[in-house]
Amino acid sequence: MSTIRDKLREYRTAGYYTEFEYHWTMAVDLDRCTGCEACVVACQAENNLPIVGEKRMRQGREMKWIRIERYWDDSEYPNARLNFIPMLCQHCDEAPCEIACPVFATYHNQDGLNAQVYNRCIGTRTCAVYCPYEVRFFNWFTYTWDEPLEQQLNPDVTVREKGVMEKCTFCVQRINRAKDLARDEDRRVADGEAQPACAQACPTDAIVFGDRNDTDSAVSRKLEDPRAYEVLKELNTHPSVVYLKNARAPLAGEEDDGHHGDESESHASPVMWPDESSEAVA
Amino acid sequence: MTLLASFAHEDAALDAARALREKGVDGVDLYSPIPLHGAEEALGLGKSMVRVFALLGGILGAIGGFTLCVWTATRFILPTAGRAVIALPPYLLITYESTILLGTLMTLLGFFVVGRLPAWRDRTYRASSNVDRFVISVAGPGAPEAEEILRAAGAESIEREQSE
Amino acid sequence: MSATRELMFDHGQPSYSEVNTDIINALTTTTWRYWVTLGISAGAALLFFVAPWIYQIIVGVGAAGMNRNAMWGTYLSNFIFWIGLSHSGTLLSAVLHITQSDWRKSIYRSAEAMTLFSLMTAAMFVMVHVGRVWFVHWTFPFPNPMELWPNFRSPLMFDVMAIVTYLTASSVFIYMGSLPDFAAVRDRSTGLRRKVYAVMCFGWRGTAHEWHTLGWAYTFFAVLVIPLAVSVHSIVSWDFAMSTVPGLHHTIFAPYFVCGAIYSGTAGIVTVMWMLRKFMGFGRYIGQLHIDNLSKLLLVLSLIWTYINICENFSGWYSGTSFEYEAILYRIWEGPFWWLYWEMILFCAVVPLVLFSRRIRTNWNVMLVISILINIGMLTERFVIVASSLPRKFLPDVFGTYFPSLVEISITVGSFAIFTTLFLLFVKIFPAVSIYEVKETLNPLRKREAHS
Repeated sequence: MSTIRDKLREYRTAGYYTEFEYHWTMAVDLDRCTGCEACVVACQAENNLPIVGEKRMRQGREMKWIRIERYWDDSEYPNARLNFIPMLCQHCDEAPCEIACPVFATYHNQDGLNAQVYNRCIGTRTCAVYCPYEVRFFNWFTYTWDEPLEQQLNPDVTVREKGVMEKCTFCVQRINRAKDLARDEDRRVADGEAQPACAQACPTDAIVFGDRNDTDSAVSRKLEDPRAYEVLKELNTHPSVVYLKNARAPLAGEEDDGHHGDESESHASPVMWPDESSEAVA
Repeated sequence: MTLLASFAHEDAALDAARALREKGVDGVDLYSPIPLHGAEEALGLGKSMVRVFALLGGILGAIGGFTLCVWTATRFILPTAGRAVIALPPYLLITYESTILLGTLMTLLGFFVVGRLPAWRDRTYRASSNVDRFVISVAGPGAPEAEEILRAAGAESIEREQSE
Repeated sequence: MSATRELMFDHGQPSYSEVNTDIINALTTTTWRYWVTLGISAGAALLFFVAPWIYQIIVGVGAAGMNRNAMWGTYLSNFIFWIGLSHSGTLLSAVLHITQSDWRKSIYRSAEAMTLFSLMTAAMFVMVHVGRVWFVHWTFPFPNPMELWPNFRSPLMFDVMAIVTYLTASSVFIYMGSLPDFAAVRDRSTGLRRKVYAVMCFGWRGTAHEWHTLGWAYTFFAVLVIPLAVSVHSIVSWDFAMSTVPGLHHTIFAPYFVCGAIYSGTAGIVTVMWMLRKFMGFGRYIGQLHIDNLSKLLLVLSLIWTYINICENFSGWYSGTSFEYEAILYRIWEGPFWWLYWEMILFCAVVPLVLFSRRIRTNWNVMLVISILINIGMLTERFVIVASSLPRKFLPDVFGTYFPSLVEISITVGSFAIFTTLFLLFVKIFPAVSIYEVKETLNPLRKREAHS
């Protein structure tokens, strides 16, 4: 009898997992991000993302699992500054997209990843509508690669056909390889062993990836930073991607408005460092 | 042998049916173009067993729908969106729909079983009873004595037919 | 003898046999005009619906105008429109059956048919909408080739269950209600038609026992179908309301959609009734009382609909979140579809106010225009909800726009052709006016009253 009660309690637990085996988390330091888009290119190469071409790009059908969002701040022209936020699948622990799928094409796995299973997908696109971050991409057509570009496709990643939804996987193929290796050696994955392509490519180390369960990992230390915040936190999605706010520092000649690391501000207002940016503006 | 008496008026037909019932004649049936109020008591039809089928269907649907949700979800656990594997609000919606679905299907089955349909073989009836005539048929041994009662009640015509 | 019984027939009561003759003749005698209309509408369905759909299956859903911002488009809004159109049939046949409103009896068969066929058209749109239509059966409760059952926690599965149930229940409802009429058709016809109808009527003879059983079963069907009328469109609305999208994430969506559904469905019935009067010669059975009652229903529904619309906009303004407020503002004023929004307000909230006048309510031709305007308004309502909310959600960097492509517009037009084709087939298979229930509304054939 007690086993039935235990089972019932297990099945009635919200989210099913009380603790993830690994809780993969990404910290993006907006202070370090220069908007170079190396992560975008790395992702495109790693995950066999199709190049849709100019026409389809204009139709709003580009495939970029990670994109650099650009926001101008409120200031007037010579002082106006561009802020970057790399936006990718947030792997929310309470993901709005996972509610939607009638065929379990997207679900939450034991690592806290928001998994997308391409061969289950029937393309209702409801997950993409439900996603507040708009990081889900639909294969409107079957995309092909011209010779000899198909030679550079990553053999570890499926090439998707038309009618399938896809999104950032935190480079699950790399995570799984690291986990297999660790299992063979009977140990846990060490910090830094599993790195998604974007984190690997980032020249300024703005993207840090690791296991949140490991309190010593680089990403856990980043999370303790007072600048850490979650995008659209008010939607209660519990994202696994945490952004480190761009510390606001005054430009040369601008008054310090006292916004240093102000926690009450929910959205980032990142800027570059004073001397660099005044040079850039000039 | 079957006796078929045709009436132009529904109350006359109902009176005849009532009289036959009082005399204790068996095998009486009443064919009409519209459902007749009063035919139930005239022919002694009680509450239809269809309601039992409907109830059974509803109960089966409710249990079946909920069991389907729980069983399929626990067979291969795929957690989604921070919800429990057995999440009551969505499963109760499915239960609601399946209650109605099975209730409808079982009522349909009940209609066929209780109404003894479909019956595609040739059976005694008069086509006029689908237009504007009310026909009373008396089958079996009671037929000869029924003829007088029917005529007295005002039957337009009385036919005999050798039953199968 | 009730007052309605006198009012039901504008040109005097027909006799029992005239009812049979009129209705079955409308079924069996087919003019060349019918064949031409059927040919045109079937051709249009092939040309405008099937052909672009096949093209879309071959190249991918990219043939439609949807993009990363608006992953749903006209396919989904049309799906909701057609489901909505299906609602009043249930209302008329089931609710009015339970409340024993006699006036429903000559119009409910066609209303039920409208339910069934618009539901079928809506189901077609589900298949047009999905990316991989060849796997759409994976949403049914059976283990698919990956030994995976569907996710019953998904709002889309509620949809699947609701539509399957609705389709089943309303087909059973219309078919069972037609059994005695099939028998009547069988008795009047010869040759192949007689054989077909003999099978279709299941050997119905009209015995007291059969009527008794049908009466019980029919009441149960009606009782079971009523909760569906409320639940199906609520469930469809939760497809929207369960998302986080500003402008869709409203608790008022379920009553809003149910009200809108019954509204557009009732308007659809008025349109269909006009067609039946004009082209099938049912003017004797569908008269002033019916149009007056339907128009009153339309008026009430339009007032409820207007109220809910005001509520929705108010809650957007009152919510205090900038996302919600901006979504509403974008929908009604700042977005590219503001004019569609106001067109819908004009057609669905302002124009129906003329129905306060009884002269307009009982004028068939004016009512035809009003009913069509209402359905145009309702079609755009669904489009506006989808097309003005999805392209602008939260992150301004990915704000976009959406405009339907030629394929989508063509499929939208084709869906009306599909519906028309199905309905044209219906009027030649089913007696479009219920024979036995019209007879029930006539003066009963009683000896005693006839003498008095």
